[in-house]
Amino acid sequence: MTINDIRDMFPALRQQVYSRPLVYFDNAATSQRLEKAIMRMDGLALGANANIHRAVHKLASDATEEYESTRDAVRDFLNAGSREEIIFTSGTTASINLVAYSFGETFISEGDEIIVSEEEHHSNIVPWQLLCERKKAVLKVLGIDDEGHLKVEDLKTLITPRTKLVAVAQVSNVLGIVNPVKEIVTICHSMGCPVLVDGAQGIVHVGADVRDLDCDFYAFSGHKLYAATGTGVLYGKKKWLEQMVPFMGGGEMIGTVKFTGTTYAPLPGKFEAGTQNINAVPTLKDALNFMSMIINDDELQRELGEVDEYMYTTLSRIKGPNEVRLFGVPRGTEGKIPLYSFVVEGAHHEDIALILDKMGIAVRSGQMCAEPLMDRFGVTGMVRISLAPFNTMAEAEYFIKSLEKAVAMLV
Amino acid sequence: MKTLEEAKQAVIEDFSMYDEWLDKYEYLIDLGKNLEEYPEEQKTEDKLIKGCQSRVWLDSKVEDGRLFFKADSDAIITKGIISLLISVYSGREQKEIAEDDFGFIGEIGLKENLSPTRANGLVSMIERIKELAQESISQEPAEEVLTAEDAKELAPLYDNVIMAIKQVYDPEIPVNVYDLGLIYELVINKKHEVSIKMTFTAPTCPMADEVLAEVKKSVADVPGITGCEVELTFEPPWDQSMLSEEARIELGMD
Repeated sequence: MTINDIRDMFPALRQQVYSRPLVYFDNAATSQRLEKAIMRMDGLALGANANIHRAVHKLASDATEEYESTRDAVRDFLNAGSREEIIFTSGTTASINLVAYSFGETFISEGDEIIVSEEEHHSNIVPWQLLCERKKAVLKVLGIDDEGHLKVEDLKTLITPRTKLVAVAQVSNVLGIVNPVKEIVTICHSMGCPVLVDGAQGIVHVGADVRDLDCDFYAFSGHKLYAATGTGVLYGKKKWLEQMVPFMGGGEMIGTVKFTGTTYAPLPGKFEAGTQNINAVPTLKDALNFMSMIINDDELQRELGEVDEYMYTTLSRIKGPNEVRLFGVPRGTEGKIPLYSFVVEGAHHEDIALILDKMGIAVRSGQMCAEPLMDRFGVTGMVRISLAPFNTMAEAEYFIKSLEKAVAMLV
Repeated sequence: MKTLEEAKQAVIEDFSMYDEWLDKYEYLIDLGKNLEEYPEEQKTEDKLIKGCQSRVWLDSKVEDGRLFFKADSDAIITKGIISLLISVYSGREQKEIAEDDFGFIGEIGLKENLSPTRANGLVSMIERIKELAQESISQEPAEEVLTAEDAKELAPLYDNVIMAIKQVYDPEIPVNVYDLGLIYELVINKKHEVSIKMTFTAPTCPMADEVLAEVKKSVADVPGITGCEVELTFEPPWDQSMLSEEARIELGMD
């Protein structure tokens, strides 16, 4: 398969913006959606639109089948031990908040510690801060070096007997470097500490085998993975999920309800209170099918590798008075996803993004929901381009030319 | 100097010369580059406009009844936008700025063509300009001239208001707030409205709100008084030297 074959699967790419063909380089924020996913969601809204699990009628049973078969597809994709370990949420943020609340209420008390890294998205910082405020617990920070690598070794001194959880990104949404999650999990487990992995970016480019990683929780979103917005997954080891108190109360999450006391449904229902995003969740199946298909396509991977290589080397070679400073420099065999955050000497990130926009190129600028990381590098923001398997070499070349033009306008 | 309408028309004409938005940006960039320099030491937190993705500082001063603006931004297109606003509004009468509807921004299509964050930034800039104009109007010294008759009429009211304030006690010290020296300023105007500036013995007083409300109520209840505003200040900070003679005796300090 070629990149152009992939493009045909994404109808949004056919549009023009300001009379120019759209070049979409903001995939790390939200990627474009597979036509199949759009069709499935429409089909469900038009046809099998009924609430799942409860009723006995045909539409309800079709909707339930669509929804629950998605759970199996996610279990397979993540290689989780059982389908009960897959909880549907509205996205990574909701998944992390669920753990911060339910794990927090169950296991965290005053003086306990949570560790996050310096490169986390706000979604993997603020829920823990809220928990720490609630429980008078302490949030500790694992640092990164100047090139954007986690100081994994520091974990050994940072973790104490009071440390109850380490929450870390598989891939930072700013730096793009694939973190050594397996090594982190091994260190943490050897010190008796469970690990939550924020897989929002990682799932898209690296995938995840949760049993191989041995992480305790893994969170990701559907909308970065070519599925519908408002879909997401929390994987959690059964031993934790079973002990954790529910996050939200409501329908579906109960065993029996009496005013004298209520019992909760078994997993995964316990964590899926209320009507779920029943039209959208099944689009994850299309996303995961697509992922499995492209991962195993060597011809496509080679072509994507060339685009990625071109982008990385060209950006790193822009020197001189308007040098491009790239953040997150991979070393050795370490992986970096096709995501490049940079600043251009003498030109403001927002100006660059604004001009590129009028050239038809969608990029992200600003703090990228990672203010502590911006502070770490002493910048007010960056420009970020994040590629998907539908981005071509022609687009990459057009981008570089446009960037040069934009910088020339600005300085 | 052009009238406000003429200045707006000039901007609309300048903008309409360019069909392409890239060219309009180029125009804004030029404006930004040519904006009068803004002093580094004025780039303070209070001059920052909230709601912009890039940083924008805006400062103003009044001269001969007119308001003059200075601004800077770390992003050049934003700087161009604020420069454009300054070229239209700086040097005009405060009232004219405060009452303008800034509708010409819509006519040049600027707001619609900015990213949402920057459009919000533009709205924040406009609001800040209006705010500064409004503030400078209300800060104008509207000093009342009191005649001898006025003074005579107000004198008994001062006594009664002080009596009323003396009814309010500090929650921790058995002395009223007046004798404690917490009242820094007390003014009654011709309309018999009272304005008070007062402090607390410590900035962390947990009962602050209640005490302020009590002072306000007690004063407002004085016959002949039509209203009362109480403002809290910690400048200068209170210390024991502000205690009245009575308070010193009461506390056994003398």
